[in-house]
Amino acid sequence: MSSSFSYPDFSNVVVLDNGGGLIKAGLGGERNPSTVLPNCLLRPISSKKWITPPPTTTLPNSDPLDLTSAAVRRPLDRGYLINPDLQREIWAHLFTTLLRVTPSHSSLLLTEPLFTLPSIQRATDELVFEDFNFKSLYVADSPSLAHLYEASRSGPTGRLVSKAQCSLVVDCGFSFTHAAPVFQNFTLNYAVKRIDLGGKALTNYLKELVSYRAVNVMDETFLIDDVKENLCFVSLDVPRDLHIARKTGRDNLYRCTYVLPDGVTHTKGFVKDPEQAKRYLSVPHGDAPSQLEANKKEMDEVTERSENRKREVDFSKNEFDLTNERFLVPEMLFRPADLGMNQAGLAECIVRAVNACHPHLHPVLYESIILTGGSTLFPRFAERLERELRPLVADDYQVNITTQEDPILGLSMRSLDLQGVGGDSSIECLKSRSFLASE
Amino acid sequence: MKKLHLDKENLLVLVGGGSGVGPVQGDGDDDAMDDDNSNPFRRMSSRTRKVAPRMAAALASSDNRTHAALARLEALENDNAGIEQVEINEDSDASLDDDDQVYMQKRQSKGTKRKTRQAKALENARKAPRTFLELLNEANLESLPPHVPSYLKAAVGPPSSTSRRHFCTVCGYAASYTCVKCGMRFCSGRCQNIHNDTRCLKFVA
Repeated sequence: MSSSFSYPDFSNVVVLDNGGGLIKAGLGGERNPSTVLPNCLLRPISSKKWITPPPTTTLPNSDPLDLTSAAVRRPLDRGYLINPDLQREIWAHLFTTLLRVTPSHSSLLLTEPLFTLPSIQRATDELVFEDFNFKSLYVADSPSLAHLYEASRSGPTGRLVSKAQCSLVVDCGFSFTHAAPVFQNFTLNYAVKRIDLGGKALTNYLKELVSYRAVNVMDETFLIDDVKENLCFVSLDVPRDLHIARKTGRDNLYRCTYVLPDGVTHTKGFVKDPEQAKRYLSVPHGDAPSQLEANKKEMDEVTERSENRKREVDFSKNEFDLTNERFLVPEMLFRPADLGMNQAGLAECIVRAVNACHPHLHPVLYESIILTGGSTLFPRFAERLERELRPLVADDYQVNITTQEDPILGLSMRSLDLQGVGGDSSIECLKSRSFLASE
Repeated sequence: MKKLHLDKENLLVLVGGGSGVGPVQGDGDDDAMDDDNSNPFRRMSSRTRKVAPRMAAALASSDNRTHAALARLEALENDNAGIEQVEINEDSDASLDDDDQVYMQKRQSKGTKRKTRQAKALENARKAPRTFLELLNEANLESLPPHVPSYLKAAVGPPSSTSRRHFCTVCGYAASYTCVKCGMRFCSGRCQNIHNDTRCLKFVA
């Protein structure tokens, strides 16, 4: 599609990052994925049909779909394809109306989660070749793509990653979290460690908390997704933050109000006061209570205003307050045990993944940790991870955590890059798997 | 409280002697009593009690709380709240745009054929989406040799320290008390009352 690209082959390569939450798709040679859409079918409360959701990349002024109490069906469960029929419908919609490609004339670059079961791999191959009749298929795993992308970037980490040819990719996505060491573009699958927690579980957890404490929102997946994305953050010091969250009135820097949609004037919920939502940033990172006091005075003005605003619309009861939920929800990634899961937290997960590798790799892996996936978007995620990781790592090793510029789209940008930067190797890859087409 | 309880027991024995319906009713009353009786060391009568089988199983198994906790974790992976409905609906095809018809033609021509009920049921059973855990069981990963990395071996494993922070299930702050009935946590008397009134469950059916 893009004429600027010199390789003629790549315009008919479809790049598809088939995530549990979002599908990121584009054509070879493009810089960014052209289409991002939720990987699910929806049934809004007003309709009896299951419909494909609109892509999230559509213009904001286009008619928004009312997602209130919409039921969802997802083709992926715990990150793996379980319902190929559903996936076929979504892909058919994607290829014909959104990307406008003819599969029989195109090749497909598809990401597949690590450790996909053979039966699921077979179902995927059937879907690609028998239902859509693609010319060829290349199956990539996401950690190596993340590594490749990072290595191609200019920057201190990029240089390091490309020099050492290895990195530790922490992919914290919708369905699960992986810590995967990558060495010379290959994921060391014997060392990969997984936590069974991702964005979906966090959203559901928040849903449960809000439903129990304030309003019943058990059916409002999309609404709570929005709440999570806008209001949740990672705490750097949980006991201190719990203490602050317990205060009343304007001392409570974490209380924030979210307004539910009323279905008349606005169909989407929103944060009532964005300034109020950002007040958590004024809490100092270190443990310095005196600074906190100083900051508080500074923030008093803001609070005053928000307090006034609050009084204006107080009788409309379709809103709820969040306090400690804002940081206790992402907290679960760092301590799944608090939720009752018998799994180690993210920092320990990384240490175990590194320890499973050859000792010579340890220092380089710690030095090039790459964070990717939508759940790493919580503010202060990297900072907290570094704080937890530092005590667990030997003193003479450096810990260096890199965040992606856009962890959600990153993967497909990378895969598109794979074709741009690593041009030759990707052609080989496409060839090497094209034998599947003859099946 | 204790006094009242004993009286009730005596009363039940009397009634139980009279008619067959008595003990069943009595049990119902007794269970109602259990709910607001927070003392686990209460005196039990030697009389054999008639209890619903599911209730009996729940009372007998000690890891009821584990079951409840697992069920709660499992619920975190649900797409929709409540029971996941399994549905095979015809209009899902119709919902797609006209452009998609190319892909659907094959399926629709198949759909026009008349099918016996049994064939339809068979097809539905085949097509019904299965959960990932079912597929995982089918793959039989345990049979792989120990050096082969697999989904099961990639799990991170239990945390090194067993300390678990407990948060109040009602308000979210540090919780120092455990509900004697269901094992959930709360932080204060106020939260305990809310807990008892709303979500205290002895067992999950």
